[in-house]
Amino acid sequence: MTMKLAEALKIVQSAPSDAPPLPVALLCGFAPLHLETFLRAQLCKLFPARSPVIQTGLFDDLLGNVQRVAGVSAAVVIIEWADLDPRLGLRRLGGWEPSQLQDVLSEVSRRCVRMHNAIAAAAKNCPLVVCLPTLPLVPISITPLARASEFTLELRNRVAALSAVLSHLPGIRIVDPQRLDSLSSSHRLDVNSDLSAGFPYTLSHASALAGILARLVLNPPPKKGLITDLDDTAWRGILGEVGVQGISWDLENHSQIHGLYQQLLHSLAASGTLIGVASKNEGSLVEEAFAARNPILRASDVFPFEVHWGAKSESVARILAAWNISADDVVCVDDSAMDLAEIQAAHPMAECLLFPRENPQAAYDLLERLRDLFGKDKISAEDALRAASLRGNAELRHGLNEHGLNQDSPGALGDFVRQIDGHLTLTSQKQPLDSRSLELVNKTNQFNLNGRRFQEAEWQNWLNAPDTVFVAATYRDKYGPLGKIAVIAGDLRNGGPSGKRRLCIRTWVMSCRAFSRFIEYECLRWLFAKLDVEEVEFDFLPTARNTPMQNFLQQIRNAPAEPHCRLSRAQFVETCPELTHVVEESPNA
Amino acid sequence: MPELESRLVNCFATAFPDLAREEIPSVAAGSLASWDSLASITLFSLIEEEFGLSVLPDDVPELVSFELILDYLRSKLSSEAQA
Repeated sequence: MTMKLAEALKIVQSAPSDAPPLPVALLCGFAPLHLETFLRAQLCKLFPARSPVIQTGLFDDLLGNVQRVAGVSAAVVIIEWADLDPRLGLRRLGGWEPSQLQDVLSEVSRRCVRMHNAIAAAAKNCPLVVCLPTLPLVPISITPLARASEFTLELRNRVAALSAVLSHLPGIRIVDPQRLDSLSSSHRLDVNSDLSAGFPYTLSHASALAGILARLVLNPPPKKGLITDLDDTAWRGILGEVGVQGISWDLENHSQIHGLYQQLLHSLAASGTLIGVASKNEGSLVEEAFAARNPILRASDVFPFEVHWGAKSESVARILAAWNISADDVVCVDDSAMDLAEIQAAHPMAECLLFPRENPQAAYDLLERLRDLFGKDKISAEDALRAASLRGNAELRHGLNEHGLNQDSPGALGDFVRQIDGHLTLTSQKQPLDSRSLELVNKTNQFNLNGRRFQEAEWQNWLNAPDTVFVAATYRDKYGPLGKIAVIAGDLRNGGPSGKRRLCIRTWVMSCRAFSRFIEYECLRWLFAKLDVEEVEFDFLPTARNTPMQNFLQQIRNAPAEPHCRLSRAQFVETCPELTHVVEESPNA
Repeated sequence: MPELESRLVNCFATAFPDLAREEIPSVAAGSLASWDSLASITLFSLIEEEFGLSVLPDDVPELVSFELILDYLRSKLSSEAQA
């Protein structure tokens, strides 16, 4: 992760200058110098299709820099000790007398309050990454270095309180000091550089910090599903050999690391991550093990179980089909390098991780890696519904098969969909910003008009425009609630050469969990009626994975999907199947 | 070109990407408009990173050409090797 300065400069110098800009503010009280270079280089790597532009502020005016930030996709705020009281830096000689320490604490408290207010205000306009002091404290305290003084503990307490308060605010991501400690050396302060150039960081510290900051700016979506093996992975022992009572995941049997792994999987399941099992085993034995041994990973956490003696890659294929997601959204964990290689060959985009069963330290590192891959900002209502709605979908597909229906054929589906008692709730409320809607836009691949992704600030700015139309759809039927599953956003255009009022849809996504229910037709019908438009234009672009969207546009237009294709109200009425959902508008719709 | 000189040329090439490599051995701060204080900080940081040494702030004002920096590095690395 750590990058050399020479490498960073080469990345920055070779970045395409004609790509769309990605303006990011780097706000600090010191001269940003190499931190700016490293941050730009890391952003170039993480956003290859964009041209990162770093905006910096005034030297020694962090608070003012935060108050003035505007027009950026994201901002990074670095608070060092000198920003909280100049006496805690090297460039001022305000005194380190013991009698001044109480005043330093008071000054830090005052500045923490002002910093909190400025950051909270700025976070309303763009996402902020905030980093609290990373440098060692100057030797201002009276105690020997090994002994923490009341003063330093009080000081750190104030910073911790600021950090905790900021973490509750939407749009703010705090750098975790523990993560920084693991990536950055203890040699962080460069006294020469601070005194001569106003840049206090060693190159290695600046590099490590920039890597973390860039990742928090990117805020990558978590992986969606984890497929795990059972024997010597979720538990110690081969079930078929040692029997149900022979498997273990505890200290007594030196198998605690398997218990910790189960504990993590159970936690991930409760956070909305899909957990599937791919195990070469007897199905009845696995059922008995879950029933009789009461593992931490419960049977209800898992859907589906693929337990048989066939190839693991086939199990993974079936699990992906049940989840209706692609291989690059999943992580497969197995203790068998051979099985992982077989999975990887069949599903090259899947992330395959070895469970090192005989090395608890390495297994613990794996747990940290998994938390990182599946980490999310918060748990949404949809996270709680996801696994249940997939089970419901399996029932729905079973129902379709029983009726001999093909879910790609709207005509044949009609009768079935009428029986499932679908309720659609639509809202066009733009404020406050709904993070679930943006998450859908940035995670959905299949039913996606053009694959376009948005930074939070870009999305917010677009929605704030008066002509922007925004609709989010929440759905439930007799198979259970699906939560918020679709987002449509576009621009209303009046007149033009045709004289028709037109809606240009620029973003349309729908969760794959909501397929085969005519929700996309119902959304279009609502838009035609609600907005009184004569025509809808689709800002369509083909992507490697948006075939379901292409098929839908083909069906409804009786013509292949193409960029800026249009659909008239008359065409829609002609091709739309009979719709029987109960459509409700939320109070703000 | 000796290894030390070649490595120093690489540092200059990274700090001054618009400069042709063959021009680097004769370059001096007074003849290169882009060699300002910011570029100087970047250049000496690259040199410190490349050679694993620390250039003292008092030495920097004297190091105003490729040739002078090369001599400085030869002297510094030699004295470090003897120590």
